[in-house]
Amino acid sequence: MEMVLQNPVREQKAVSDGIIGMIFLLATEAMFFAGLISAYIVNRAGIPVWPPVGQPRLPIEVTAVNTAILIASAVAIFLFRKNIIANFNKGNKSLKLLVTTILLGGTFLAIQGTEWVRLIGYGLTTTSSLYGSFFYVIIGVHAVHVVAGLAILFYLFKAIKNSATLEIAKNKITVCSMYWYFVVGIWPILYMLVYLM
Amino acid sequence: MSDTLHKKSFFRKYLFSTDHKVIGMQYTITGLFMAAVGGFLAYVFRYNLAYPGDHIPLFGELGAQQYNSFVTCHGMIMVFWVAMPILLAGFGNFLIPTMIGTDDMAFPILNMMSFWIFLLSTIVLLASFFVPGGAFGGGWTMYPPLSAGGYTNPNPDFFKAFFSGASLMILAVALEFVAMLMGGINFLVTTINKRTKGMTPFRIPLVVWFINIATIIFMFSVGPLVAGAVMLLFDITVGTGFYDPARGGDPVLFQHLFWFFGHPEVYVLLLPAVGAIGEILSVFSRKPLFAYKTIIYLALLSAILSVVVWAHHQFVAGIDPRMATFFSVGTIIISIPFAGIFLSYMATLWGGSIRFTVPMMWALGFIGTFLVGGLTGLFLGSNAFDIYAHDTYFVVAHFHYTLFPVVFFGFFAAFYFWFPKFVGKNLNPALGKIHFWCTTVFFNGTFFLLFFNGLGGQHRRINDFSLFSNVVKEPYITFEKIATISAICLILSQFIFLYNFVTSAVRGKKAVKNPWDANTIEWVADSPPPHGNFNPYPEVFRGPYDYSLPGEESDFIPQNVPHTNENIPVLKVKLSVS
Ligand SMILES: [Cu+2]
Repeated sequence: MEMVLQNPVREQKAVSDGIIGMIFLLATEAMFFAGLISAYIVNRAGIPVWPPVGQPRLPIEVTAVNTAILIASAVAIFLFRKNIIANFNKGNKSLKLLVTTILLGGTFLAIQGTEWVRLIGYGLTTTSSLYGSFFYVIIGVHAVHVVAGLAILFYLFKAIKNSATLEIAKNKITVCSMYWYFVVGIWPILYMLVYLM
Repeated sequence: MSDTLHKKSFFRKYLFSTDHKVIGMQYTITGLFMAAVGGFLAYVFRYNLAYPGDHIPLFGELGAQQYNSFVTCHGMIMVFWVAMPILLAGFGNFLIPTMIGTDDMAFPILNMMSFWIFLLSTIVLLASFFVPGGAFGGGWTMYPPLSAGGYTNPNPDFFKAFFSGASLMILAVALEFVAMLMGGINFLVTTINKRTKGMTPFRIPLVVWFINIATIIFMFSVGPLVAGAVMLLFDITVGTGFYDPARGGDPVLFQHLFWFFGHPEVYVLLLPAVGAIGEILSVFSRKPLFAYKTIIYLALLSAILSVVVWAHHQFVAGIDPRMATFFSVGTIIISIPFAGIFLSYMATLWGGSIRFTVPMMWALGFIGTFLVGGLTGLFLGSNAFDIYAHDTYFVVAHFHYTLFPVVFFGFFAAFYFWFPKFVGKNLNPALGKIHFWCTTVFFNGTFFLLFFNGLGGQHRRINDFSLFSNVVKEPYITFEKIATISAICLILSQFIFLYNFVTSAVRGKKAVKNPWDANTIEWVADSPPPHGNFNPYPEVFRGPYDYSLPGEESDFIPQNVPHTNENIPVLKVKLSVS
């Protein structure tokens, strides 16, 4: 005989499990970046000439364009969520917006990569100076987060393809876009501190 | 019953289970196994301290470098592979779902992955003993430049440097943090979203509150340490100079990042244990927990304070004296909320009809021993005294008087209390009492005299005191020997626990649902709770500590018992009087 467990009698959830979990994860991530940034600021404060003599300047203009590309990807995912909630339909133009987000994120990574190759050519490496060490570690850690973000968005794309209704996918859309907003949101801070300051 | 409900293979049921009770058990058993490893290391180096150069039974001879590795790994293992899995992950997994009245964690698969990543971290740590050069021996704080090999090699060979004791240690700790983070997210989301009907925030038992506060402290403070560890790992493996003063780096920076986590970590371990002790004191005093809400506010206050006192570990590292005063004052202030919590516990005991059960003895033993640790901490919080006592056995005795009660008295109190519920068998109380007295006596025997060794100026990082006979004299040499013999007896006493655990689990008497007449709702479930815990789910009508209410027949009223028309006015009268 098959017994069925009674459903739990629970209080109404104000916010979904996934959103709360993502908030705590991002708070921890934010503290991680805060640790890196404070280490950078403390070190810089103690060094009179920055960047050190003989080290190349960072590509400010190209990266400004790249910053705009990353912000555009956040706009794309915002529009995507708005559209898909208004009209859930697999393969419609809202999914194209998600693809746009992924492509913009990928472009950001590609431009960063080519800039890294050029910088290494100019003699800026992880061991050439503290300047180089901080640059590659902080920007590199962010790049790892972009890669993780792209993987999450790709997962979301698959998940939407496989869901029959909006209710199944809605929570995933919100939770995944939260992570992407974080990846995009932390970048201007890093750009300002590492490239402009 | 659970077997007929959910037919699952052995692997799904015990190994790759997503059930919070199985995961809690996996964490606890792994933690106990690592406690045996950490205890063995302690035995080896304590033996060496009392009888330097002698052949150590079951081990052999201990070299100076090995001594350093063993002390370092003893500390690391006891904090990250014993205290964290048992107190945070173990307690959290067993207690949160059952005490808030739900079936499982919010993300069961994430929970299972959390344990497997933790196990991987354990394997990486144990493997580090077998790489060339042995396990890391630069102290559990991993301060550079020592941990980065003194920056003698600016172009390290990546693979050689990666498979070194220092970098494997960092990797193992990082994996452990990932595991605890996954568990922690589960704890918080479960507590926020999965409480049973009627379980309002101020009806949640204290221990669940405290595990969640500990989780928040952990998640808030761990990020900067990971950032610091990433930079250290680059220094070791790639050859960057983040902490190398010769290249403009700053070694004190690592100390700040480390202790920004390291101090709050003390509260991460302390809070779950103190929470469990609170539950036990209330049950066996047959009295409501005194000032339950105030205790929660005090714990939140101490959580906030705990992240602004870290630099008291760096008084000797050359920080600005004005900063030192700030951190001194902060450190002494943080003892106020804890004094408040302990006074509330005393008030809970006051006038209660105390039942001297085994868990109660551990709870009372916790208070007695922890008091010594807390009071000597006040001495060290003052930077004037700290500079004298820095790196002496006084510090060693102090933190063992805080951590040992927290980890072991806290765990054993909880173990003897909740074993009947989660294993479904009764333990042998006589063996429990013998275990308690042996542990208490030999613990004090191990560490009490070391306070005097420290005050006498004995430095903690010397493996062979016979080389310094002009500074180390009697009685301190005898004290070292007493400490070592007590430590060996302390370790041997744990076999009583092991025997009791195994024989009771196998052929103990079947436990009833609520052997201690307790109120919290895990006691409403079967012993052991089946997969899904409750059927039907209980509805909660009252707070967790309705013991010995005036005008009631029974001296305890479980949380799932509704108020009757008669007892509501009585409650109101009582509240307005107090
Ligand atoms: Cu501290």
